[in-house]
Amino acid sequence: MASILRQITKTLRTSSNRNVVACNFARFQSTETSSAQAPVETRPTVRKSDPMQRTQLKDFGKYVADCLPKFIQKVQLTAGNELELLIAPEGVLPVLQFLKDHHNCQFENLADIAGMDVPSRPNRFEVIYNILSLRFNSRIRVKTYTDELTPIESCNNIYKAANWYEREIWDMYGVFFANHPDLRRILTDYGFEGHPFRKDFPLSGYVEVRYDDEKKRVVVEPLELAQEFRKFELAAPWEQFPKFRPALASVEEVKTDKKE
Amino acid sequence: MASETAKRILKEVKPILSLDRFEAKRRVIKLYKAWFRQIPYIIKHFDIEYNEERCQAKLREEFTKYDTIKDIRVIDMLVIKGQMELNEASQKWTTRRGVVKYFDGGGHIDPKPDCFMAKFLSGKD
Repeated sequence: MASILRQITKTLRTSSNRNVVACNFARFQSTETSSAQAPVETRPTVRKSDPMQRTQLKDFGKYVADCLPKFIQKVQLTAGNELELLIAPEGVLPVLQFLKDHHNCQFENLADIAGMDVPSRPNRFEVIYNILSLRFNSRIRVKTYTDELTPIESCNNIYKAANWYEREIWDMYGVFFANHPDLRRILTDYGFEGHPFRKDFPLSGYVEVRYDDEKKRVVVEPLELAQEFRKFELAAPWEQFPKFRPALASVEEVKTDKKE
Repeated sequence: MASETAKRILKEVKPILSLDRFEAKRRVIKLYKAWFRQIPYIIKHFDIEYNEERCQAKLREEFTKYDTIKDIRVIDMLVIKGQMELNEASQKWTTRRGVVKYFDGGGHIDPKPDCFMAKFLSGKD
């Protein structure tokens, strides 16, 4: 009897069995252990991060980067759970076609095309495609870049919704879309000059319009503003000590095994 | 050093429309002719107070304004914008103001008042 007992205690003492026992114990007290293991939240937010979703998005980003290594330059997650593909401008059509037609993507819905202007960059404009997969209930963002004179291929043949969005980008930023069926102004008035969303476009515009009593018509004249009115104080009156509040690392790069 | 600068100048770029200077020139002349032929219709439809010769001179002025530009892509971009404006005029999308504005700029603006009385009378500070 004593030898049997000794045998049992020996098996219990081995590490593997001890782990099993510990696991069972943990399962019984699951509420307590999970609260103890959860990372301490230093920045409470309404937008809870979902690790499962994050890993799925990362894997998907890696998969797409592996499928289209020629065009995808970077894959990143922003704001926790928003996947972004940063692509070369030559790859707009192939990447969008892939994302639309591939069985594991099915991003059939173009939600929006946005533009962005950063004058300090060599390619100052960013064009951002927000696309939505109704099949998998997920969204993805495709970003590309260009400058004032380099045309981007119009994706009108892939997404019919792109027609007006691209006209809007053309009108606001002056990015030319090649092979667009009907590229003309959409938001500005006829006869308007310049592209108002460019950063170097002054807030007051270039021209002013007034009725001329002698000519009996509306005349357009270059804007004359005293110089002091053009100096705007753009610094925010709050947040004077930014060094005590380090910027949130909202962008997280997804590592892709890229062969240089 | 010299080869480096040469490389930087001869950067490979994606063409907008034209591949060489002759093609760009042909496009400009085509656009000019299209505007030229449209002038009588524009005068008639928009009830322009200037005669045809004046409008033709204005058209020429608008084109020669960009004489110094040699970059093919910039020329292409200007041609594209010019075509869009021609389209707006010929389709009658734009209003009279949109066409007459070409005659507004330049010497039409009164010189800035300098003395106090002139400022007071013109209402400009």
